[in-house]
Amino acid sequence: MMQVWTIARQMIAEGIRMKIALVFFVLIAAIVFGLPFSVTGDSSLTGAVQSFMSYSLMATGLLLGVLTIFMSRSLSDEFVHHQMFLVVTKPVSRWQIIVGKWLGMSLLNATFLLFAGASMYGMVHYIKWTHPPQDGILDEQELNNEVLVARHARECNVPDFPALAEAEFQRDLEQGKYEQQPYFDPNLQRKNLINKYDARWRVIGPYETREFLFDNILCDRSADKEIQVRYKADISGYAQDEIFRAVWRVGDPDKGAKAYELHVRHVIDRFHTMRVPANAVADDHTLKVTLVNVNPFEGEMQKGNVLHIRKSDGMQVLFIVGSFEWNLVRLLSMMMCKLMFLGAVGLLMATVFSFPVACLTSFTVYMMAGMRSFLEEALDFMTDREFSMFSSINEFAIHSVAYMYNMVQWVIPSFSRYDAVEDFVNGRNVSLVWVLSAMGELVVIKTVIILGLAIFFFYRREVAEVSV
Amino acid sequence: MAGTKLPVVQTAGLCKTFKDFWRRPRIAAVKDLNMEIHAGEVFGLLGPNGSGKTTTIKMLLGLLYPTHGRISLFGKPPTDVSVKSRIGFLPEESYLYRFLTARETLDFFGRLFRLPQKIRVERTARLLDMVGLSHEADRPVGEFSKGMARRIGLAQALINDPEFLILDEPTSGLDPIGARQIKDVIRRLGQKGKTILLSSHVLSDVEDVCDNVTILYGGQEQAVGSIDDLLCQQDVTQMTMPTVSDETIREVKDLILRLENKNADVTHPRHKLEDFFLQIVSQAQSADVKTSGARAGGEVPDFLKTATATEMVDLVGSLVAAGSAPEVPVTAMAPPKTKDLVDPVRGVLDELLGKEPVEADEAEEASASTETDISVASSKPPVSADSNVIDALLQGEHKKSDDTTSSESNP
Repeated sequence: MMQVWTIARQMIAEGIRMKIALVFFVLIAAIVFGLPFSVTGDSSLTGAVQSFMSYSLMATGLLLGVLTIFMSRSLSDEFVHHQMFLVVTKPVSRWQIIVGKWLGMSLLNATFLLFAGASMYGMVHYIKWTHPPQDGILDEQELNNEVLVARHARECNVPDFPALAEAEFQRDLEQGKYEQQPYFDPNLQRKNLINKYDARWRVIGPYETREFLFDNILCDRSADKEIQVRYKADISGYAQDEIFRAVWRVGDPDKGAKAYELHVRHVIDRFHTMRVPANAVADDHTLKVTLVNVNPFEGEMQKGNVLHIRKSDGMQVLFIVGSFEWNLVRLLSMMMCKLMFLGAVGLLMATVFSFPVACLTSFTVYMMAGMRSFLEEALDFMTDREFSMFSSINEFAIHSVAYMYNMVQWVIPSFSRYDAVEDFVNGRNVSLVWVLSAMGELVVIKTVIILGLAIFFFYRREVAEVSV
Repeated sequence: MAGTKLPVVQTAGLCKTFKDFWRRPRIAAVKDLNMEIHAGEVFGLLGPNGSGKTTTIKMLLGLLYPTHGRISLFGKPPTDVSVKSRIGFLPEESYLYRFLTARETLDFFGRLFRLPQKIRVERTARLLDMVGLSHEADRPVGEFSKGMARRIGLAQALINDPEFLILDEPTSGLDPIGARQIKDVIRRLGQKGKTILLSSHVLSDVEDVCDNVTILYGGQEQAVGSIDDLLCQQDVTQMTMPTVSDETIREVKDLILRLENKNADVTHPRHKLEDFFLQIVSQAQSADVKTSGARAGGEVPDFLKTATATEMVDLVGSLVAAGSAPEVPVTAMAPPKTKDLVDPVRGVLDELLGKEPVEADEAEEASASTETDISVASSKPPVSADSNVIDALLQGEHKKSDDTTSSESNP
């Protein structure tokens, strides 16, 4: 262990004294301390804090990712400049060198991440303190209740649209409806039917009522606590920024819960959060929320309109499950998992390639991990049709790329799956389960595999290899 | 020396072939090398550039893997980590971390040897003192001159008090003081019973310190044996004595010509430039001239000393002391063998020439310029030049003898 720690210390010393890490440290400090003076968001206090946190966390993650890749090149530098001659001729195993370097990088990253997190926390309070008041106490309340908290979000239950769609599809098939269609694709037809059912369910016509059911609302149901109902709606036929009026009923008295009725004037195409006492949640931890599309305000004109609750960013019930501070710690832990994985990738590349190639390949893996969702969607889209090898060179190339991508994706994780910045900025809970799953996949499994590969190649490699 | 003990280094049929980018074999750097180095040996590896010296060393250290053949260090393969704790290695260039200070560098390598902190601190201080860099201990190694970095390289090679020391071109880039110091350290370690493998282009370095050598060329062993066996010129006889008159020289030459029918060359030996340089530096140090470079090294640390070598002294100081002191000439540094041979020969010559014998101490005080070398080339078997020979010469008889006495010198 002493040797591992010695290599780790040396790695940290190198990062600091060779000024690579210092440059990144200064950049992170400049961003964290400079952003509050240049980013104001939508000019509200909440907007300013959210924009600041979002930009500073993304920039910190990106900079530390780049720093990790640059730091890992230290190994290939030691091959090129032969310091490795002196290290491997000492009683230190090659696995200890790899693990020591990885540990050193990880400790440096952890320190920088803690610095960035602590600085960001301080600057959030600085913004709170210095931001010019608009809605006064309400603005600060909104910030405290919707951003500087850890809220758990529950999506509403939706009917079983695939089952409904399948039933209709089978009925239509029996009736021979599709026999006349020249380009009939059963899967596409099923997909269209599901979308139709979903879209219908999200549309609420004038004077119509829609019930949204939530379960597993595991919050403190005291009357002095609150839950939040968050949604965004469009209105067909209205221009943007128009206001609609409606009635929301929250709570199901039939299940022993307190019911609350809210009359709202809400701007369309904006998120709205309605705060309701937590005793609206039933004993079985369910919550019923009902939207009635009527105008409750006498004397205010409203044409009969059709409300549409969006699918993405749709209805949610949020309840506080933890503090902002611990949420920040969990977010930083998640970011740290990615950096640990990236450090292992950098070391693997450095054992195989020399400096520029090692860095470029590490960047490629970084980009692939960061954009994996996008890449998967793109490849799915391009390879959607049935594959015929000789149909065209273009198709063959696309399928080849998809095939290679499938081969490497088992070891390259999807960073977007563990991207918690947006949730954190919106005051959502970064759950411990989420952090543990990130740790499990990124560190325990994939980092160990990658480090194992790095150690394998390092043992195979001749440190003084000469190619003539 | 070998006894029945396992050799420290043993290679059998060792080959190394370097390949090109496409993994095709291109250059055979080492071919079928069989080598044994036994405990306590100071072993020299000689050869021109590209002869395979460094490749051999790298294979011994596990930095390169042999294409064929077998290597054992202390009976184990070179990749065995436990073996490495018994080895010290000074590479051909000092591949140090530029950002670490001299002290941190030694501490870093000490940690890799798992030395306890107390010992690390102590050894670091002693080694820095030994290589004359105590005053630069907290300066980054990247700012050091090549020679200073080399000294740190030597210090790191000794931090673990190795049983087996591998030195690749140890005097490369060093000033004469450093070079002499390293040679002295090698000698001292050899006295202690350490095993040393020395690779060098500087033949005098190898000659000065090594017991045995292997000469490589084209990756193959060309010659192997002890320095004495390899370097002794059996067909040349050399006598060294204090300056004698031209008349004496003429008479001796005539005598040799008459009895042996051979011409003798008579010259005055020269100082070695190294000795002269050390004398000048010593004078500068005495005058306390400031320098940012390495200073005269201190004593070799106790942990590297032998029980019999406790008299080890300030290296450069001792080296130059004789030269700087007016009453002791530089020739006092000449090997004892040379000094020993002066007395009997001089005595005989004095007797021959009817002069009073000179005391041995006086002879030692004589400067090199007052000495005379006589060399006689011969195609005959070895000839002893002891007092018997001189007697025989004077009596007009030639008495062959195979004896080698202190009065004979074979260059």
